[in-house]
Amino acid sequence: MAITNNAQQADTGTKMIHLGKNTRSTIISKGISAGRADNTYRGLVKVMPKAEGARNFTQCDSLLIGDKCGAHTVPYIESRNPSARVEHEATTSKISDDQLFYCMQRGLSAEDAVGVIVNGFCKEVMKNLPMEFAVEAQKLIGISLEGSVG
Amino acid sequence: MSLLKIENLHAEVGGKEILKGIDLEMGAGEVHAIMGPNGSGKSTLSYVLAGRDGYDVTEGSVTFQGKNLLELEADERANEGLFLAFQYPVEIPGVAGMTFLRESYNAKLRYRGEPEADAMQFLKMVRAKAKTLNMNDDMLKRPVNVGFSGGEKKRNEILQMAVLEPSLAILDETDSGLDIDALKLVSDGVNALRSEGRSMLIITHYQRLLNHIQPDYVHVLAHGRIQRSGGKELALELEANGYADFAEEAA
Repeated sequence: MAITNNAQQADTGTKMIHLGKNTRSTIISKGISAGRADNTYRGLVKVMPKAEGARNFTQCDSLLIGDKCGAHTVPYIESRNPSARVEHEATTSKISDDQLFYCMQRGLSAEDAVGVIVNGFCKEVMKNLPMEFAVEAQKLIGISLEGSVG
Repeated sequence: MSLLKIENLHAEVGGKEILKGIDLEMGAGEVHAIMGPNGSGKSTLSYVLAGRDGYDVTEGSVTFQGKNLLELEADERANEGLFLAFQYPVEIPGVAGMTFLRESYNAKLRYRGEPEADAMQFLKMVRAKAKTLNMNDDMLKRPVNVGFSGGEKKRNEILQMAVLEPSLAILDETDSGLDIDALKLVSDGVNALRSEGRSMLIITHYQRLLNHIQPDYVHVLAHGRIQRSGGKELALELEANGYADFAEEAA
């Protein structure tokens, strides 16, 4: 998970190297950009010659808040074994005015509304975190996005 | 004292005037229906009252429970007890229905300066209310409105209304996209929520819904103005004659 706000530029990523036979990996990346920030994700997936039947699945979702921010996804795939299966999926979505208004009509402040929507967006990652950490992460999201709306 | 008083309300969307002087007064516990042809400004009125961005009031006033409604932000209006059941409920991926309900319920309690609800008691309360609307736990666990059928979305709106207990509920074409059974279920849900302390403004095209939810007053909205007001017999008259009469009156 990576969050950028205001004028931040983040260029982050992951490396996954498959060495052994039938190894599997899943990468889920959630990038959130707000303000005038740009968020870049680079994901290297490398399959070595001996990694017969290796599989990787990469899912890379970006969420934009406002219309001045950006998200970029750059997959790097190096396969040295013809039996490897490497998948990469990317999506980009935006918090819509409809969603914000809907939440606010139910009584949430604009900031809380963004917090709820962003937490929903990150759910696949959050649900795998240990309980204590997930609570912290949720609060951290709220703090990182302060001032991103309104 | 009236619960809601709209006086000479003019509003525009994107520079185009849609509401051209609406006057409407609602007392506590009353059910009013607003009917009118497509494009008459019915949905605009509901958005203006709820405080949506981009719906600009140019003239007139709206008083809700003695307060100037137009000065409040959308979330403040909601917390003051105004609820809008959306014509097209919005999807919020990844946010479980239960979580969303709890967030909104607690927002309301915080607004009133009360402590947040106990999680277990809240869960029990919501389950009991969901049951009367024929909604199971599974629906409360699913993300808000994501992949819901038309009927499920509308039921979900009514559930939110039941939980948040507003003093004024605006139902914007709650009957659209419902089959006969779902319409009955939703109407029963709405009827169960009728009480002395709760007024409802029902926006609809068809008299059909008003067979199930009997209004105290019916208003006809056309060309941005309320053209006629009357009792529930007015709805029957409209069903027979259509809106053609009003098209001429305004012209």
